[in-house]
Amino acid sequence: MDETLAEFFRRTILKIPMTEMMTVLKTWNFLSENQLQTVNFRQRKESIVQDLVLLCEENRASLNDAAHLDIIYTQFHRHQKIWDVFQMSKGPGDDIDLFDMEQFKSSFKKILQRALKNVTVSFKDAEENSVWIRIAWGTQYKKPNQYKPAYVVYYSQTPYAFTSSSQLKSNLPLLGQSFETHNSTTSLQERSLGLDINMNSRIIHENKVEKERVQRVTQEIFGDYPQPRLEFAQYKLETKFKSDLNGGILAEREEPLRCLVKFSSPHLLEALKSLAPAGIADVPLSPLLTCIPNKGKNYFKIRDK
Amino acid sequence: MDSYDASKLTPRQDASSRFKDFFIGATPLQKRLESVRKQTSFIPTPPRRKIPQGSQLQEDVDPQKFAFLLHKQWTLYSLTPLYKFSYTNFKEYSKLLNAFIAAEKQKGLAVEVGDDFNIKVIFSTLMGVKGTQRDPEAFLVQILSKSQLPSEHKEEKVLWTGWFCCIFGDSLLETVSEDFTCLPLFLANGTETNTAIIGTWFQKTFDCYFRPLAINAFNLSWMAAMWTACKMDHYMATTEFLWSVPCSPHSLDISYAIHPEDAKALWDSVHKTPGEVTQEEVDLFMDCLYSHFHRHFKIHLSATRLVRVSTSVASAHTDGKIKILCPKYLIGVLAYLTELAVFQIE
Repeated sequence: MDETLAEFFRRTILKIPMTEMMTVLKTWNFLSENQLQTVNFRQRKESIVQDLVLLCEENRASLNDAAHLDIIYTQFHRHQKIWDVFQMSKGPGDDIDLFDMEQFKSSFKKILQRALKNVTVSFKDAEENSVWIRIAWGTQYKKPNQYKPAYVVYYSQTPYAFTSSSQLKSNLPLLGQSFETHNSTTSLQERSLGLDINMNSRIIHENKVEKERVQRVTQEIFGDYPQPRLEFAQYKLETKFKSDLNGGILAEREEPLRCLVKFSSPHLLEALKSLAPAGIADVPLSPLLTCIPNKGKNYFKIRDK
Repeated sequence: MDSYDASKLTPRQDASSRFKDFFIGATPLQKRLESVRKQTSFIPTPPRRKIPQGSQLQEDVDPQKFAFLLHKQWTLYSLTPLYKFSYTNFKEYSKLLNAFIAAEKQKGLAVEVGDDFNIKVIFSTLMGVKGTQRDPEAFLVQILSKSQLPSEHKEEKVLWTGWFCCIFGDSLLETVSEDFTCLPLFLANGTETNTAIIGTWFQKTFDCYFRPLAINAFNLSWMAAMWTACKMDHYMATTEFLWSVPCSPHSLDISYAIHPEDAKALWDSVHKTPGEVTQEEVDLFMDCLYSHFHRHFKIHLSATRLVRVSTSVASAHTDGKIKILCPKYLIGVLAYLTELAVFQIE
């Protein structure tokens, strides 16, 4: 095995946390049970990795096998990557094709290899008719950089593909389809609304009518299903200060107030959904917040009209 | 604003009810309960405060000396008066504290950077960091590490810094006898483990008591207003507020940054009394920010918890963390913090 490949194996295996090591290696299924048993997993990690690399050499592991291992590692750590989502749109005349996974993989690889001499493309099938594609990019004169691959995850029964890597953007046209930014839709369902009526008749709910109204409006805006997972939204505001209560403040000022507002949360949309019922926000909620799922963006610039 | 009888509202703490080893032994829950209790007790605050004037440092002191105090995050504590503390014994204190740290290291409560390192403890006076002549001199404690490796020629790295000061501490100074030195404000930079070790030594040696100094939303608003009121030639940082929304199942943070010139313009429009900041002005200033926000987002920021304010003068976090950015207003910022520390002690 040549040195660069051995080094790539070494570094890839070294990345794997010890707690996941056995699981990943078993999923990879390249080294046999017997071979794994010969390794002393109580040593220092560097030594374990050394032994594993030697085993790979014994089995004459190829670049393809290394790429597979890399894909599996990434699958285990998908949450650590940032993914862009693309939705493929069909032209008006296109028929619905019957999808053939093998044909897709082969033509995908061909397109890339024809355009770029130096590229490594690897595939791994995954759940729900999806395929993970790993692409290591090179140039006309340089071999592919295995340490900065791009990943594409394509769910074949849907028009959606997920990509990770900044280098991919310049190579998107190669994929030969037009993409649109993913738009999430939540279906609204008619449902009768019932608040918890406390069995103890001595407890009166204040503002019951108002609370019901708030619940209803919140549900109309956000729907019943869990919200798409979003972590922040940012608004650049350049609007004049206007206040009825604090009369006269900044009344003569022509220039707007330059503000930057950022909302962040582990689950932003769920948090925003809970604001009105908690009494922190008024209903109807501000369109600046509710338009996030509809517009499919979370950076906004707001100016006075 | 009405005047209040302070003694009725702030119950004196019974010595037995104070957790003597609160500082080190307290669980995070205990610490939180204490600080929440403090935040909800009514604070009789002066209805007005003076706007910090620039350069209140003593004239014969070189402001460059304080550069190391700036742009660093300090954790705040209040400190009760030190018994039989002397500025002439610094050499001895250095030795004793060094020995104490070494002993703690033996016990396994190590100073965190590798045991291969030799450490050096330095006590020094911070000249000029005071409000009036009556304030005691501020002093500084530093823990330095000396590399043992012959290749790196005696490079010393600062592991931990702590300083003690008193800015306009008259109300406290008046209450203590001569055996006590009043330096109610303590600021530390470094790991909590080190702070705990050094704090223990001081508590044992001078019979004093440290307590974390939290800053509640009320005082954060005051700081924001006062620092916005300070005259600046140019702004180094945007004016920013951070709120934490307690109610949602998932935490939500709202950051609201406003261009410092616009913040100043808003303040100037609100401000009526020259040279001073009043409660009404602070309330109005914050109200304007809240209403501008509400106009766009229909969210009542006043129903959430203000946790951090940041301006070109300084930034402060509710957990009792401060970063001072502008040397001109160093004394002004410390004066407010001293006030909070003194209040916590009394």
